[in-house]
Order: sequence, then structure tokens, then C-alpha cells
Amino acid sequence: MKRNLFVVSLSLIAVFLIFSGSPAFSADAKLLRMATTTSTDDTGLLDYLKPYFVKETGIDIQWIATGTGKALKLGENCDADVLLVHAPDAEKKFVADGFGLDRNVVMYNDFVLIGPASDPAGGKGKGVKECLSAISGKNIKFVSRGDKSGTHQAEQILWKTSGLPVPDKEPWYAQAGQGMLTTIQIAAEQNGYTLTDRGTYIKYEYTMKGNPPLKILVEGDDLLKNIYSVIVVNPAKCPNVKSDLAKAFSDWMSRPSTQNLITGFKLSGKQLFFIYSK
Amino acid sequence: MTMNAPVYHLTGVKKFYNSRPAVDIEKLSIPQSSITGLVGPNGSGKSTLLNMLAFIDRPSEGIILFKGQKAEPYSDTVRFRVSLLAQEPYLLKRSVYENIAYGLKLRGGDSSRYSKQVNEALSLVGLSSREFSNRPWYGLSGGEAQRVALAARLVLKPEVLILDEPTASVDADSAGRIMDCALMASKEWGTTLIIASHDWKWLNEICGKVIQMFKGKIIGSGIEGILFGPWIPGKSGEYHEKALADGQIVKVPKPPSPEASAVIPQNLIVLDLHPPALKPGEHFLKGVIAQLSLEPYAQTVMISIRAGGQTFTLRIPQEKMREPVFFPGQIVYITYPLSAVTWY
Amino acid sequence: MDFIIDGLLQAIQLLLHGDGETYSAVSATLRVSTYSMAASLLLGIPLGFLLGHNDFLWKKHVRTIVDTLMSLPTVLVGLLVYAFLTSRGPLGEYGLLFTLEGIAIGQAILALPIVIALTAAAVESMDEKLRVTLVSLGASRRQVLYSTLWEARYGILAASMNAFGRVLTEVGIAMMVGGNIKWHTRTITTAIALETNKGEFATGVALGIVLMAIAFIVNFSFSFLRNRS
Repeated sequence: MKRNLFVVSLSLIAVFLIFSGSPAFSADAKLLRMATTTSTDDTGLLDYLKPYFVKETGIDIQWIATGTGKALKLGENCDADVLLVHAPDAEKKFVADGFGLDRNVVMYNDFVLIGPASDPAGGKGKGVKECLSAISGKNIKFVSRGDKSGTHQAEQILWKTSGLPVPDKEPWYAQAGQGMLTTIQIAAEQNGYTLTDRGTYIKYEYTMKGNPPLKILVEGDDLLKNIYSVIVVNPAKCPNVKSDLAKAFSDWMSRPSTQNLITGFKLSGKQLFFIYSK
Repeated sequence: MTMNAPVYHLTGVKKFYNSRPAVDIEKLSIPQSSITGLVGPNGSGKSTLLNMLAFIDRPSEGIILFKGQKAEPYSDTVRFRVSLLAQEPYLLKRSVYENIAYGLKLRGGDSSRYSKQVNEALSLVGLSSREFSNRPWYGLSGGEAQRVALAARLVLKPEVLILDEPTASVDADSAGRIMDCALMASKEWGTTLIIASHDWKWLNEICGKVIQMFKGKIIGSGIEGILFGPWIPGKSGEYHEKALADGQIVKVPKPPSPEASAVIPQNLIVLDLHPPALKPGEHFLKGVIAQLSLEPYAQTVMISIRAGGQTFTLRIPQEKMREPVFFPGQIVYITYPLSAVTWY
Repeated sequence: MDFIIDGLLQAIQLLLHGDGETYSAVSATLRVSTYSMAASLLLGIPLGFLLGHNDFLWKKHVRTIVDTLMSLPTVLVGLLVYAFLTSRGPLGEYGLLFTLEGIAIGQAILALPIVIALTAAAVESMDEKLRVTLVSLGASRRQVLYSTLWEARYGILAASMNAFGRVLTEVGIAMMVGGNIKWHTRTITTAIALETNKGEFATGVALGIVLMAIAFIVNFSFSFLRNRS
């Protein structure tokens, strides 16, 4: 009996020793760590690009996919070397505050306003302003990310530029505090409207087998452009970050060959990201 | 240390629980190879005393000498010599065999002999080793568990074996076995036995000496009647008194407190067949003989008398019993001098 | 509802076809829970034993605090550990953020109060009669200690299983401290969270089933061990 416990503890210790010998936390010199937004990961774009990047530069890359708000925070805390995010105003402030260098716009997709096919706000085919005014005027359900992500920040700007107060506690306005796909699902459950990036919507459409309850109602408005940039975390603030690798990534993203890869990335036959011509 | 030194010699031993003395013994000696009985109501301090004698707990005050040497819990002078069997058996969460072999393993020695020793111990307590050796601790009845626990002590052949109510919570068959084993240890190995029990008859039968405890103190030789309060002042004011269940009045001197308990030493009680003529300072009670029993060891007869719901016991030398004047059911009168009453 | 059945089928496929991502998450989960359990048991059993076995002035209050810590929210632990491990934090220089070791630190903190409190409870519930028995059979102080630990083994085993369950299923620390990095720090639970976020409910259910299978295997082997001894 005593022997059994002994054997168990021995094997536990053995397992522990084997694993602690593994190189899991040896800080790899050629390892780039990126903080990014969920949309680049959820759509599969990063998984698609990674092998090309590794092969062409010899740099390994890992990413933490989270909201743009948290991604910027990680950069501020020196926990990431490079950021791939989509909230231009917040990014500019981040750079202005000295946390980042070289904001490099690499691609865009666009936001779309989606809602139930019955379209109670009557926004279909109209502009963003008309649609949002109808929603707030008629107290129609609107589900917001509510998580300071790039999409959430873009949505807040849309309310403001439409000359409307940014809703907060209104009963028809729900702040999910979750990722984009979850937020779409909540909107679908509640027959409400929401703002999403087109890439995530295509992914959503794909998982709903091409027949989702929520349809694109407003698109193509200039206000809806969703711009992604790469920012190198400032080594002056964060001496530990690998700014050379970060710079290499930023440059690689701007290469024509990479830009071709991005435009060639398709989900169920649809292009998700576009080249931003300055 | 001499051959004649007693196994135990206690001086001024006190044990406090929350500043209340649970045991308070001025002097006590227990000779080698003797059998000592310990009686007293629940909570009288028997178990506390036994735990100190077994060197499990140390006294708050006073000295316990073991064979003339000062001994402490865990000290090498006593660790392998004294063993205690508690009232409720506790078995280790192991097989019967492992339970009995535990003490042997602590002592080291020839491990190839363990199995034989365990089997012998099991057969002493009347359990077949084939049937019981591999049983888990939870597969035993209360009586079997107590016997296994006893076997775990017997296998050690201790110099002193302390039994705390060994037969209180077991079946009659197990109780008989346990009693036999205790006597065997005393006879075969010269083991000093100290036994606490409510079984007066058994103790009187086998013990050289029976100690009675009350409120942590030793109050006599084991058959003292204890009279509980409350006491009220008598009419004359000279004495205090209390009415018994049958209306008789017990008289006592002024107690230290109305709730104090009185003990009348049995050797100062006089027994009569007729109402006695009282001398000054004496008092008598009428009672019925409830039981007569022979004490082979002391060559005496123990007489229990019930008077008003109270039992008084006294001893009469056997030779005085030639004429069968006393028999159960006979009405008798017991007389005691009030000055003999002691208080606890 | 369909996705539950889909999930079941998918779980079998993931395991049988040796899906690399799944096995990477399983391995990360096993590694990280091994580290954290080893650390919390090595620290927690002795501390729990001391807490249960000894009497001291503030014992009751210490017990209450430890009992309260048993309900530490995982996200709070995650946040606190992040605060220490971030490059700007006091332990930033060790580069433990977004590593399995980092997650293990958080999970060990999560498991430690459980191991301490339940070990202490197991030792406390050991009868005073045990000590009397051991001493009366001739045990020395040290032997009393060892034998008491051995007597409390089922209680300690239960404490470990309880802590293991908490560690295995937590998601807050793994997400916050580990960062859910694919092939590296993605554990089964963070993978479930991710798949749910992506709307891949069936994959989420499948991974949940895989996690339960691991829990079952571990519990089953321990109960086998328990019955054997």
C-alpha cells in the first residue's frame, strides 16, 4: 500500500522533471510576439500568412488574439513586440503617447450594419446616418460589442458622426462585452442590429451554411471603412521588446508579395481583406 | 533502581483541563506484576490518569516515576514497555495483519518472525488468522475490532498493559476473551495490568487492589458509596441532611458546600441485623442486601446494600461468614460515625 | 441542439484521427496541470498538515482566510498573476508571461488554498484516538507524524482530486496569463472558449468531451489505486 503512494509520487516527480526540461519558456531570440484583434485570428488570416512569413524571414511568430483595446494595453505593458489592430484614433493616441512607432496601414476591410431580414428600421440600402437614426428613433434593438475593441470604437464614432448621442443605458441598446461572433449571435437571438467587420460576417454566414437570420443592410458607406495597421512597440519605453523583428514583420506586411497573399485570402469564395492605397 | 522498585510511583500528579483539575493524586504506587483495578463514575478522571500512566499525556504538575526513573511521553525508557488499549478501539486504516504488526515494525527486530507473532496474537484473542489476517479495518464488528486492537498490544508482550474499559462496548463473548487474555498476560509474562472498568465483580475477582476515583481524586479501595448533595442544614443546626428516595434521612457533618459529595469509608461502617443502639455522633440507615460476592484474591466477601436508592458496599473477611447470617433480600442496618464522612 | 450530437461525433474523430491542434491542447493542459498540481501539493500538503495538526493563537482566523481563498475567482487570479508577470511587473524579467509555466503559477495559486484547507480538514478530522493508539504502540514523534499523514491519505487524495478538477477546468488564468497562443499555450479550456467565440459550437463540445475524458481517466486511476490499497 505504501508502495503505491510512493510510485505515484515518483511518477509525478518524473513527469514534472521531464516537462520542466522542455524549452517552453526559454525566451527564443527569433520569436516575435504579436497582440492582435480577434478578427484577424477568427477569420484564419494569420494562420494563412504565418507559414509564408516564417519561411521568408526565418522569424517565428506567436499571437494573442484579443480586442484592440486589450491589444494596445498589452503593447503599453511591453508584453507584445508588435500590434496588428484596427482603431485608428486609439492607435494615433498610442503612438502620440510614445508607446508605439511606425504606424503602418497594411490593409482594410469594411464594416457592415447587419440586422433581421424584416429590417424594422428600414435601413436597407440607405446610409449609416439614416439607419442609426431610425434605430435610435424607433428604439429598435441594437447589440454592441461593448468591449473597447476596434469594432466597438468604430461604432461609437459612427453614432457621433451621425449626430446622435452614443447610447449607453438605453433599454434597446445591449452591450455584449464579447467577441464579434458571439455578439452577432446575441443580435440574431434578439432580432437586433449590430455592426460587424465584413470578414467576421462572411465567417458567420459560412457557419450558418449560407442562410443566416441576420443580413447585410447597410454597406459601402465611406464611414464604414475598417483600417488595419501594424504598430511596432517603442523600444525606448520597452527595452525588452524585439523591435527589429517587429520592424521586419511590419515591412513584410507591406511587401507586394504579401499584399497579394492578403487579397488572395478567401473564405467561401469571398475576399475578406483589401489593399489600402494611400 | 532496585528489583523491588514499584513500576509506577506518582507524587503530586495533577492534570488540568481549562484550569479545572481532572486528576489530582497525592501519592500512588503500583507494584511490579500486580493487577490494579480502577473504578469511578464517568468523568472521574480514570481515562486521564491512564493516559498519563501510558505516557501519552504528561501531567500538568507532579512527577511520575517509572521503575524509579522519571519518564516522559516518547522517552525511550517507556516507549516500548507500556501499552494502552483505549475504550473504543481505533484501528489504523490498514489490514488486520498490518494493524497488529505495526508495533512490531516500530520495534524493528526479525521481520521474518512477524507473521508467526501476528498469528499467535490473533489466536490468543480467539480470531483465526486465516480468516482475519487480510481483512480490512472496516470489515470487523465492534467486538472483533477490540480484540484485534488487544492483539496488537499482546503481540508486543509489554511490561505494563493498561486497559481502559476494555469490555464496555463489546459483546459477551469478546468480553470473556479479553478478560482471559489479560489474566494470561499477567500469569505467563508477569505483565503489570492496570484496568479501568465498571465491572466491579471482575475487578474484585482478579485485582490485588482496586482504586476508586472520584472528581479526579483517589477516594479509597473501590467500593465506597458516594452520597451526592444537595445538603440542607438539619433542625438542630449541628448536622446537615438529605432525604433518600425512601424517605430516610442521611445525616452528615457540615459540608464545605451544599453541593459537595460525601464518602463514608466502608471500613468504618458497621453492619447489624437489628436496629442498633446509637452512640453519640453516630447515625444509621436501614437497607436490604442486594448482592453477596466472593473475592477469591482478597479472601473476602463483598456485600452490597441498597438503602433508599443508594448502594453501600462493604467487605467482610471470609472466615466471619461461616454462619450464613447474611443473604440477599435480608433487611440490615448500617451504622457510621459522622466524623468518618469525607468530602469531595 | 444539433451541435451537441455533432460535437460527440467530432470528439471521436479528433481523438482517433490524431488531430494535431487537439493533441497540442491536450498536451498543454496536461503539462500545465502537472506543474501546478506538483507545486500545490508539495507546498499545500505540509502546510495543510501543520494547519490541521497544530493549535496556535490565530488558527481559526487562518482557517477562515484559507477557506475563503478556496473561492478565488480564476479571472482575478489571472489578472493578479498577469500584473506580476507582465514585462513591466516585478517578475517581468523572467519572461513567464504567455508561457505554460506562467499559467502553472496561476493555477498553483488557485489550487493551493484548496489543498491546504482540505488537507487541514482531513487531518483535523483524524481522531485524537489515532494519536493515542500510535503512541501506545510505541511510535516516536516522527512516526506519529508519518502515520497520521498516511491515515489521512484518503482525505488528502480527495483534496488533490478536488484541486485537480479546479485546475483542469479553469479558463480565466489560462486565457489571461497564457494568451491562448496556438501550438503553445492553448489549453483545452481556452480552445473551447475560442471555438465558442468563433461560433464553432460543435468543436467546442468535442473539446469539452475530450477534457471530461481526461478527468475521467485521472479519477478512475486514482479510485483504482484507492481500492487497491
